[in-house]
Amino acid sequence: MASVEIRNIEKRFANISVIQGINVDIADHEFVVLVGPSGCGKSTLLRMIAGLEPISSGEIAIGGRVINNVAPRDRDIAMVFQNYALYPHMSVFDNMAFSLKLRRQPPEEIKRKVAEAADILNLGSYLNRSPRQLSGGQRQRVAMGRALVRDAQVFLYDEPLSNLDAKLRVLMRTEIKSLHQRLGTTSVYVTHDQIEAMTMADRIVVMQSGRIEQVGSPLELYDEPANLFVAGFIGSPSMNFVSGTVERTGPRRTLVASDGTRLLLPEGRGMPDQSVVLGIRPEHLRLAAPGDGLAAVVEVVEPTGPNIEVITSVAGARFCAVFNDRHPFRPGETIYLAPQPDKIHLFDATSGRRLV
Amino acid sequence: MSPKTKKSILYWILLSPLVVVILFPFAVMFVTAVRPRDELFTYPPTWTFSHFVWQNFVDMWNVTNFGGALLNSLYISSAATLIALVLSIPAAYALSRFRFRGQGVYRQFLLITQMMSPIVLVLGLFRLMVSLGMVNNLNSLVITYAAFNLAFNIWMLQSYFNTIPRELEEASWIDGATAFASLVKVFLPLAVPAMVVTGIFTFINSWNEFVLALTMIRQSDQYTLPVQIYAQVAGRYQIEWHHVMAATVLATVPIAIIFSFLQRYLIRGMALGAVK
Repeated sequence: MASVEIRNIEKRFANISVIQGINVDIADHEFVVLVGPSGCGKSTLLRMIAGLEPISSGEIAIGGRVINNVAPRDRDIAMVFQNYALYPHMSVFDNMAFSLKLRRQPPEEIKRKVAEAADILNLGSYLNRSPRQLSGGQRQRVAMGRALVRDAQVFLYDEPLSNLDAKLRVLMRTEIKSLHQRLGTTSVYVTHDQIEAMTMADRIVVMQSGRIEQVGSPLELYDEPANLFVAGFIGSPSMNFVSGTVERTGPRRTLVASDGTRLLLPEGRGMPDQSVVLGIRPEHLRLAAPGDGLAAVVEVVEPTGPNIEVITSVAGARFCAVFNDRHPFRPGETIYLAPQPDKIHLFDATSGRRLV
Repeated sequence: MSPKTKKSILYWILLSPLVVVILFPFAVMFVTAVRPRDELFTYPPTWTFSHFVWQNFVDMWNVTNFGGALLNSLYISSAATLIALVLSIPAAYALSRFRFRGQGVYRQFLLITQMMSPIVLVLGLFRLMVSLGMVNNLNSLVITYAAFNLAFNIWMLQSYFNTIPRELEEASWIDGATAFASLVKVFLPLAVPAMVVTGIFTFINSWNEFVLALTMIRQSDQYTLPVQIYAQVAGRYQIEWHHVMAATVLATVPIAIIFSFLQRYLIRGMALGAVK
């Protein structure tokens, strides 16, 4: 059993509270991603699970066993660091064999396990090299191999792909994911990149300023963000927002933005006189007839290949729309964007919380 | 001639007075050491002499008990270096890896004590050694040199230790190493270059030290090399200058060459400490 239970974890550095009351249950075999902006506490939380940071209050249990005061070496975990942390004075083989040698495993057993891990990660021909003779991607795989030989209960990843170039990052993402599918080891993965989170996680924990904003599967977070922060953080290009107040117009409601722009809300949505923020994802905007929907002044057109991303100005705010078809937009022209009614999100303007 | 060459020549011309001032004593020293005895005091003085007398070095070795003094110096410098390293490595490691109260004050203390010359404290040190019954004992110098080099060692080592990523030790803890195993198998192998350089600096400082050695050591067979050479000149009716110069050549030139190789590591160590 290799579940990880995080109960009421708090972390203070001197008088500064960095993590305030976090509760997460990670099930056995699950791949959970902790995601959030820099300084949100995700790495600190991971390091507390690893035993590299003392816990100010609360409990962490691995496989049902509380490990607050257990040394890292006795927690049966393996960790992949952002800077790989390969031992520079040892060969690739020795790097991977280090943990096994410490546990006094017989040499033949060590050789077999290292060969097995090297095979999975395509490191067979690099075993005699030293880390400085390897590329970034190869070093990353050695770091993973070092974790792999351990047969640990929990794998911890601390932004392992941050130092790789974009193409390599995409490649390694898939490798890590397929490795997890093959081995099924419980994994906790920290990243600031929401695309990594979306593509790799079984569940995502979105953090900000030491607190959890939302926990859920990638599509749950994408389709039903619990608050403004999650809505704006998850998804690229990010969700568009318009602030305003709700007015009654007959049986329906209308959102009135600060510059007077009016948008009719779908039936049953919006309470009169409420200050709200309307959110709509770029891909959920359709071109409307002139006069309908929101007036948008085109600023920049970005063709990505599969799509065209149009950056516009709507009611004084920056609005991004994504289209599959090739439209001949020109900077300066005014287009009209209508949001898909069932894809509109409404958030309370003060608390930021989602309004059903 | 390219502008770069012209510039180089100009700089060399501007530097040449300094170069002459530095190299002149060495040149005189060497020339005096290899010329025949009866050509030592020709007037007017000349750079040239009839033939190289390498025998001067051999004679000097026997007459001045160079070998004995050399062994004394070797023993003192090596022992002082060893003790200073053994004590400074844990201190530097603690300063580099741990956070504790008074850390800033401690670092300042290390810096300030380096400004103090042992020569200023020679009377107090002598009285200390008298009370310990260690006057005329080589170990008095061992302890003193080790103590005075500690601050520099800790400072240098800490700067180097800071460049060894903490993640390496963390990775080894997670791999299953105890704090001690991590230190010995991961940290120290990477710290060896720093320890070697720091050790060599301590060795050179101990080797060249004169005033304390002169004060503490009273018997001629216990003399260190600088004092032994000095003794060839001080209070003598007749000074064998060719022997004195030969001894000085052997005592200083190897050290000067080693130091010139190592001085960039010293600068790097200082710079590392400054740009944290």
